[in-house]
Amino acid sequence: MITKNRVYINYFDTISSAGFSADELLSNICDQRECITLDKTFIKDRAVAIGKIDTTIGLNTLLLERLELLLRRLKLKDYSQTLLVIGSSVGGMSETEDIYFMDKNYKNIDYKKHPIGAVAHFLKGHYSFYDDVSFSTACTSSANALGYAKEVLQKGLYKNALVVGIDALSFTTVRGFSSLGVLSSKPCTPFSTSRDGMNVAEGLGILFLETYARDNAVEFLGAGYSLDAHHMTQPHPEGLGAIKAMQNALSDAKLKADDIDYINAHGTGTIANDSSESMAIETLFGSDVAISSTKSYTGHTLGAAGAIEAIVSAMAIQKQILPPNKKLVDTEFSNLNYIKEPKEVKIRYVMSNSFAFGGNNTSLIFGALQ
Amino acid sequence: MRLNLEILDAFLLYSKDEIEELNTKVLVPQMVFRRRLTRASKLVIEALSGIDAKNLRIVHGSSFGELLASANILKAILEDDMLSPTDFQNSVYNTAVSYASILFENKNEIMTISSGDETSLKVLKAGAIKALDGDELALVCSEAINIPNIDEINSCAKYLECVVALRVRSSSKEANLSLDGVKDDGFVPSLKHMVFVAKNFNKNSILAIDI
Repeated sequence: MITKNRVYINYFDTISSAGFSADELLSNICDQRECITLDKTFIKDRAVAIGKIDTTIGLNTLLLERLELLLRRLKLKDYSQTLLVIGSSVGGMSETEDIYFMDKNYKNIDYKKHPIGAVAHFLKGHYSFYDDVSFSTACTSSANALGYAKEVLQKGLYKNALVVGIDALSFTTVRGFSSLGVLSSKPCTPFSTSRDGMNVAEGLGILFLETYARDNAVEFLGAGYSLDAHHMTQPHPEGLGAIKAMQNALSDAKLKADDIDYINAHGTGTIANDSSESMAIETLFGSDVAISSTKSYTGHTLGAAGAIEAIVSAMAIQKQILPPNKKLVDTEFSNLNYIKEPKEVKIRYVMSNSFAFGGNNTSLIFGALQ
Repeated sequence: MRLNLEILDAFLLYSKDEIEELNTKVLVPQMVFRRRLTRASKLVIEALSGIDAKNLRIVHGSSFGELLASANILKAILEDDMLSPTDFQNSVYNTAVSYASILFENKNEIMTISSGDETSLKVLKAGAIKALDGDELALVCSEAINIPNIDEINSCAKYLECVVALRVRSSSKEANLSLDGVKDDGFVPSLKHMVFVAKNFNKNSILAIDI
């Protein structure tokens, strides 16, 4: 690849069950606060633990408010020079469900408000963007959106990029994961020997990327991709696809495995994912690198997870603090360095992993400004 | 900025309801695996085989993704039936290329774009940008919207199943094909740009794409 520009994350914002801002998210993580709730809305006669945002305002409206805030904070006039890059797993599914369950037919569903493109369609009703593109690769959607934004800025093809990872809770996803038998009825505990599944969640992450660094920027150094080519929902048991994605990210960032100080793991809390990812990390990094999964706070926000966890990674660099797993006691891979308490250390480089249905793997690397 | 893509091969199949001339039994000899495939997966596997692009980086596009799996899930929830785990795992937008990756053991970067009516335009743009790295890429777009009661929502598309694929690489040669004059022509609008390129493809096609 012809690399021309360096790429920086100059602004980020997030909303999830674990906080209405990036600062609140990190604070809740460091305080190891419980942000997952039990819910009976989605599955009849069964309470499941989910990550629900405590608000009556719709996710799209919240997104719009935060994009206004971004313009004010960065003193931008508008988004007319901006590439909008969306990452979402379900797009407008929640609105489709509302209409279909009431009408019992498709007649009143607007075909532009149902698919993944619905998010960009909504935003383009309020802003003019230079261009836009939406990625949907299940749980790697916004990680891939970030990787693409980095690529186009590096190649000098756009001036700046606004990356939005967003997914709302829906009957489809909660019942769908339940049908696969991977939903937990208690807050998830990734990497714990007692883990018994994941928590579906909703959330959004916003990142603004430019080719120069503003105050407090974090550099976006690497993106690596791979496919497992193994199974639609089960990761490769030895994590071969994950290893390749992480190796590709290191190569893109021109770093060695030893350079990485902290890995924000995909860490869903399912037995298959955590085992596969732990093996992959141990194979590539050995046992010293610090690891945590912040899904124990946010839940699994699906297509938004890559963006939200990139924000956690960026904050770890900015604040020089390792975000802990939540109340992790016994671990399956006891030789690995899972972070159990927040720890202030020197952090130069952070990797964030996202893995998805279809064996779609993406690893991103962020670095402190040199 | 303008990027030029050399179109090395093109593939286009479409039908008003269901495409019949598929070679799925030959391409996917394992019956258990074949039975799990969605319609879009069968179309994408056919197209990638058709342009000899089983092991390239792939940019895939679909506006509606796996519409039948999604519709089955919604119906099951509405009627309080058991939800099929296969329908759920097959409902993600990257299902078709993921099955293709398993079949062809393709472990390279594979992206899925879903940008509404402009999906295939965005696939062409992403393909042109990624092709700057110097390798050949496969671009493949599909829609399979022939689900029960689709007429309640579809009023414009005549061809309910379509797959279009291009094998491309970056080119510094002068362009002889542009996207001016692209029309829906009865196709799902998300496919129109790639369908236009496939229909106008010849062995010397150099497509200009404005970023």
